[in-house]
Amino acid sequence: MSGWDRARPSGTRTGRGSNSTMNERIPSSRTVRLGRVQPQAPGFRTIYCNDRDANLPVRFRGNSISTTKYNFFTFLPKGLFEQFRRVANLYFLTISILSTTPISPVSPITNVLPLSLVLLVSLIKEAFEDWKRFQNDMAINNNPVDVLQDQRWESIPWKKLQVGDIVRIKQDGFFPADLLFLAGTNPDGVCYIETANLDGETNLKIRKAVEKTWDYLTPEKASEFKGEVQCEQPNNSLYTFTGNLVVQKQTLPLTPNQILLRGCSLRNTEYIVAVVIFTGHETKVMMNTMNVPSKRSTLERKLDKLILTLFGTLFGMCLIGAIGSGVFIDRKYFYLGLHEDVESQFDPNKPFVVAILTMFTLITLYSTIIPISLYVSIEMIKFIQCAQFINKDLHMYHSETNTPALARTSNLNEELGQVEYIFSDKTGTLTRNLMEFFKCSIGGEVYGTGVTEIERGVAERNGIRLADGKKSANMVQEKGFNFDDGRLMRGAWRNEPNSDLCKEFFRCLAICHTVLPEGDESPEKITYQAASPDEAALVTAAKNFGFFFYRRTPTMIFVRESHVEKMGKIEDVSYEILNVLEFNSTRKRQSVVCRYPDGRLVLYCKGADTVIYERLAIGNDDLKKVTRDHLEQFGSSGLRTLCLAYRDLSPNMYESWNEKFIQAKSSLRDREKKLDEVAELIEQDLVLIGCTAIEDKLQEGVPTCIETLARAGIKIWVLTGDKMETAINIAYACNLINNEMKQFIISSETDAIREIENKGDQVEIARFIKEEVKKELKRCLEEAQSYFHTVSGPKLALVIDGKCLMYALDPTLRVMLLNLSLNCCSVVCCRVSPLQKAQVTSLVKKGARKITLSIGDGANDVSMIQAAHVGIGISGQEGMQAVMASDFAIAQFRFLTDLLLVHGRWSYLRLCKVVTYFFYKNLTFTLTQFWFTFQTGFSGQRFYDDWFQSLYNVIFTALPVIIVGLFDKDVSASLSKKYPEIYRAGIRNVFFEWRVVAVWAFFSFYQSLVFFYFVTTSSSSPHNSSGKMFGLWDVSTMAFSSVVVTVNLRLLLMCNSITRWHYISVGGSVLAWFLFIFIYSGIMTPYDRQENVYFVIYVLMSTFYFYLTIILIPVVALLGDFIYQGVQRWFFPYDYQIVQEIHRHEREGRSRTELLEVANELSPDEARSYAISQLPREISKHTGFAFDSPGYESFFAAQLGVYAPQKAWDVARRASMKSKPKLGLKK
Amino acid sequence: MLVSIIFIPIGVASLYASRDVVEIIDRYETDCLPENSRSNKDQKVQYIQGPGNKTCSRTIRVPKHMKKPIYVYYQLDNFYQNHRRYVKSRSDEQLRKNSSASDVDACKPEDNGVNGLPIVPCGLIAWSLFNDTYTFSRNSQKLVVNKKGISWKSDREHKFGKDVYPKNFQNGTLRGGKLLDSSIPLSEQEDLIVWMRTAALPTFRKLYGKIEEDLQPNDVIQVILENNYNTYSFSGKKKLVLSTTSWLGGKNDFLGIAYLTVGGLCFFLAVAFTVVYLVKPRQLGDPSYLSWNRNPGGH
Repeated sequence: MSGWDRARPSGTRTGRGSNSTMNERIPSSRTVRLGRVQPQAPGFRTIYCNDRDANLPVRFRGNSISTTKYNFFTFLPKGLFEQFRRVANLYFLTISILSTTPISPVSPITNVLPLSLVLLVSLIKEAFEDWKRFQNDMAINNNPVDVLQDQRWESIPWKKLQVGDIVRIKQDGFFPADLLFLAGTNPDGVCYIETANLDGETNLKIRKAVEKTWDYLTPEKASEFKGEVQCEQPNNSLYTFTGNLVVQKQTLPLTPNQILLRGCSLRNTEYIVAVVIFTGHETKVMMNTMNVPSKRSTLERKLDKLILTLFGTLFGMCLIGAIGSGVFIDRKYFYLGLHEDVESQFDPNKPFVVAILTMFTLITLYSTIIPISLYVSIEMIKFIQCAQFINKDLHMYHSETNTPALARTSNLNEELGQVEYIFSDKTGTLTRNLMEFFKCSIGGEVYGTGVTEIERGVAERNGIRLADGKKSANMVQEKGFNFDDGRLMRGAWRNEPNSDLCKEFFRCLAICHTVLPEGDESPEKITYQAASPDEAALVTAAKNFGFFFYRRTPTMIFVRESHVEKMGKIEDVSYEILNVLEFNSTRKRQSVVCRYPDGRLVLYCKGADTVIYERLAIGNDDLKKVTRDHLEQFGSSGLRTLCLAYRDLSPNMYESWNEKFIQAKSSLRDREKKLDEVAELIEQDLVLIGCTAIEDKLQEGVPTCIETLARAGIKIWVLTGDKMETAINIAYACNLINNEMKQFIISSETDAIREIENKGDQVEIARFIKEEVKKELKRCLEEAQSYFHTVSGPKLALVIDGKCLMYALDPTLRVMLLNLSLNCCSVVCCRVSPLQKAQVTSLVKKGARKITLSIGDGANDVSMIQAAHVGIGISGQEGMQAVMASDFAIAQFRFLTDLLLVHGRWSYLRLCKVVTYFFYKNLTFTLTQFWFTFQTGFSGQRFYDDWFQSLYNVIFTALPVIIVGLFDKDVSASLSKKYPEIYRAGIRNVFFEWRVVAVWAFFSFYQSLVFFYFVTTSSSSPHNSSGKMFGLWDVSTMAFSSVVVTVNLRLLLMCNSITRWHYISVGGSVLAWFLFIFIYSGIMTPYDRQENVYFVIYVLMSTFYFYLTIILIPVVALLGDFIYQGVQRWFFPYDYQIVQEIHRHEREGRSRTELLEVANELSPDEARSYAISQLPREISKHTGFAFDSPGYESFFAAQLGVYAPQKAWDVARRASMKSKPKLGLKK
Repeated sequence: MLVSIIFIPIGVASLYASRDVVEIIDRYETDCLPENSRSNKDQKVQYIQGPGNKTCSRTIRVPKHMKKPIYVYYQLDNFYQNHRRYVKSRSDEQLRKNSSASDVDACKPEDNGVNGLPIVPCGLIAWSLFNDTYTFSRNSQKLVVNKKGISWKSDREHKFGKDVYPKNFQNGTLRGGKLLDSSIPLSEQEDLIVWMRTAALPTFRKLYGKIEEDLQPNDVIQVILENNYNTYSFSGKKKLVLSTTSWLGGKNDFLGIAYLTVGGLCFFLAVAFTVVYLVKPRQLGDPSYLSWNRNPGGH
């Protein structure tokens, strides 16, 4: 049924306002127009076909396309401009400029170097991405196409194609440009095209050439074609085209029916010949490409706030320093040379000016508080996360369609870890949009032995394991047909007691439909083109029962019937179709009046049970009752049902009716309505045959996935265009709703509403429905709240239909709707338009300020996908529209589990760590500088050497944090899925609350004090037995060493898992610092640097003092963090920590070998990609089982005399954490 | 615990080393003023800037045996050698090479002398060179103060040129500090080299020289000092320090105490955690601690 509905979504919508405009905007073929239709350029273009010279003066654009952002020359200016649109970069540019002025305490290198490094990395990334786009373009541009040259087809690349060229496209080929269809191999000048790339529709569309041009098929003939096309200027309206073809002095009008758009492909036609009319960027599809609105993650937005806070802190620090400097400056410090004319920054006569200028000085000095490399690091981390982890995760690889997951944007990884609401489309997302004839009931007898997934799920929940029904050998497996019952197949129905009814049943299936057969007229090769997959499934079923519908003409239906007269006999029967009473959503039924070859007149009718039952003839109540039972039984197994009925007509009666019908059909006013009325007259006294049950197949693993997500605290809303019953059905099937839930149903299909609607006063209808909706909402809300106050009330579910939703979304009712729906565990919205989908999404996004995710597969989901925080497209199917608009593309709904619970959660965790760590390390570093300012008379003297400061962020502390951002994981992937509840931490955002930031800030405050005062105090005496003293630069080098060592060790302390990469990067960073300082203090550069640190490190490292300090300071500094973490872990453990503990004795290795076994079953190609995907992870040893410091577990164990096994990782870890306290009791 | 095991011995050792050092501090900036100039700052400044004999005599009693070498330091207070204007007012180029004598851009306001010629060594740091002098005698027998080798070798050899001689130095209207012998190259002017290694904090010590004789307990040392340097205008203290050294350097209890404290703290924590564990045990990996188990149905 849903397919029928979808084919005519506008049928029942009589509403006004936004809905009615929707109806106008959306053509009945359920497409969404892309972008705004641009105003038509004045004039028209004239194209001389097959005549390049004649077209030359007009200079049409070539067919090559370019989607790159930059070209060779614009890259630098444009790329830089893009970079400086970031506030942080602009800030550093300002600082860099400031630092070239004399008020700067640091040489420009301090700021210019990190800035340029950051810019360099960003630009390289941009260049890389653009290069990929360029290659992509090149690949497209170099596709070959056959073009007519000198009476021959020459293959040339797409980009060489010009307006006016005559091209030949072969079957399944893509159209290289917008073409005018001239001729094709099909006899009647038609060709079939697939427009999946444009609108996601997979059914074929027919294009028909102008009759005049049908002959120009061969190259010889085509080369004679000389025509002139006058048409509109290029525009982006996909469904309109106006123009004329002037050929042989004749002007032929052109319509969209002759236009083949770029991006579509040719089907079921050997080849066609066409003229190029729009090329390259002027094609309609290219003019429709719009920039996908770029999304920023909420974490990043919070990060902005954090940065603003840092700016505030910076300002405060500078203000303190500036006031200090104004107060300090005094002529009494004669050694400062303040007695003569002094530059204004130090002029003791103008303390105010001094303060202002010092302010700028300090801003420059403290610029390190803003983590310049944060954004670029985050970008890199996310990029690698996407490219290496998400895209290469075999858990999200769908081998049937050969589709891996695809992260189309790398901005939103961590958003995946915080999703609270999922908005899901139904068809194609939850279900496969694959209708299979599954069961039927004929004459009170149920046929079909299959078990639906829903039944299986229910059974499993009740503890019964259903054996997978053995599929009998002779079972026909075909798309649309999944039925097995020996009593009906292969003519066996003849032996059934109600074989006559069976015959009627099959004939009804074979005749009463609007399906078009296509392809060879043999049962194997034929394909059915139907408005909905249901119909196709029914016709396919008839075929398999031996009633093969193979040909349709406007008046006849040809059916090859087997076993009718006697077993094994096959005959072709033609039925004359007299009238077709079409389906629409008010009638909910479809009838065909046909005449048998023997003159029998029959009306076959199929439709929803309610409407059919109303029109059945009196009597035969047993059958009706039994069939109704069957209908309910089918319905509860999640099947979609239709009732079939027939009626024999007498010729007289038919004739008189037919007159009325013809009259109604030819009436000009209210034709639809009149036709309906006439149909009513004949659709009476029907004889019930039985009913069909079609399975709307769920995607694989959907119910489990939904259950897992629900446990993770994610609420799932289903937004579908289907009707309410279907939607509820599927919701049941997916575990979204069950019988224990309290359901609130707000529907417009009530008697009261219908009554008003029948009166037809639109204003009144609107007012009335609004009132009704309001009443309903209020009632539900009150009820919901009463449940909410009780402790263990039932879970709530809301079902609402599109029409009610339209009114409920009204600003006055919106709040109520939101309150109600947020209290519900699941919400089902049915019969909603694409726009409403988006509205509901933004309602939650904006109204509830929760992170939303939309998932869908079709063009009608695009708006929803773009409206949500995260949009996910189902890929691997034919339509690409949803994928093109999405942020992530996965092949199956069930991959959401992996995407959210594993990758999303990890990304979120990692990003939080990265951000807080960046915040911490820069704050710590800058605060030491700040403390120093107090000791320098607030002059803004720098504590560290320029190079120390500039390389701190980009070299000495850069890599480890990136490693954490890539490899840190609290619990393994399988545990993440086993304990979906730990995902809730992300929803509550516990790892990036202000509280967390405050804790980090507190510790960085503490640590900076330790760094500064420990170093300065301990260095105030002679440094070794030679009695010499340290100077400023010696102290600062000492302090900087401690900072680098501590900050890097702090990173290890916060890791959940420590891999070889951690050691390498942390060790490498510390080593890099020492290497740097060794070289740096060993050389004298010739130009105007003051050789402050010359030889410093050599002297430093020759003292005991150095080693004692470098051991002491990290320990003291980290003691605070250590105690905090220990206490937190012991008394207020996070969920993930508990999970770590539960599984502390499991080695990651086991699951890895399991995975490898999986890998062995894969094809070599897959295995290779698997190996690639495993590369980084293979090395990752998950170690964070018990405590952040392994000492703990063993420590307590030792206390209790319990032997704690030494683990390899324990030893390795201990080695890396020599300076950490509390490892001792291990001995 | 490991930390406490390692740290406490280190602490004891460094504390011992530090305690081993004998340090004598003599603050003299007020005592070396004539009685009548002590009352207020102006008078002090007037005295120190005025002509006349500023010799001052101090006696120091040695409390313990002091092994040679005994280092002589002067300690200044409230002297912002790390002030930005001060720190950058030097020219390393000029100090290193004779040929860069005119490289004085950074040295303002002590860049060029009144005659317009560049000052060598230029800049505020050199200009304000400390110029108190000390001579020591024990029992009227002079104690030689060795002023060789008091600066960093690297400074001496690489940062201060052998062919750079003081020129045009301290001949402005206002004299900042010590005069330099213009016949001795900078690389041998060790007082200057020490001074030019600017201190990190406003209170700092600088090495003045070494006495290469043991001092016995209760030796009385006579110090004749010339109180030339003006710390009075900014109320800075001046101290004379005599100190021996240990393997850890001078007298500084800080490291030792810090080590002991941290070691003790760790020990205490280890005990505390054990107590906590015994008093309020928590089963590792107890699922009931999972938040969704703690308040059922909470969402």
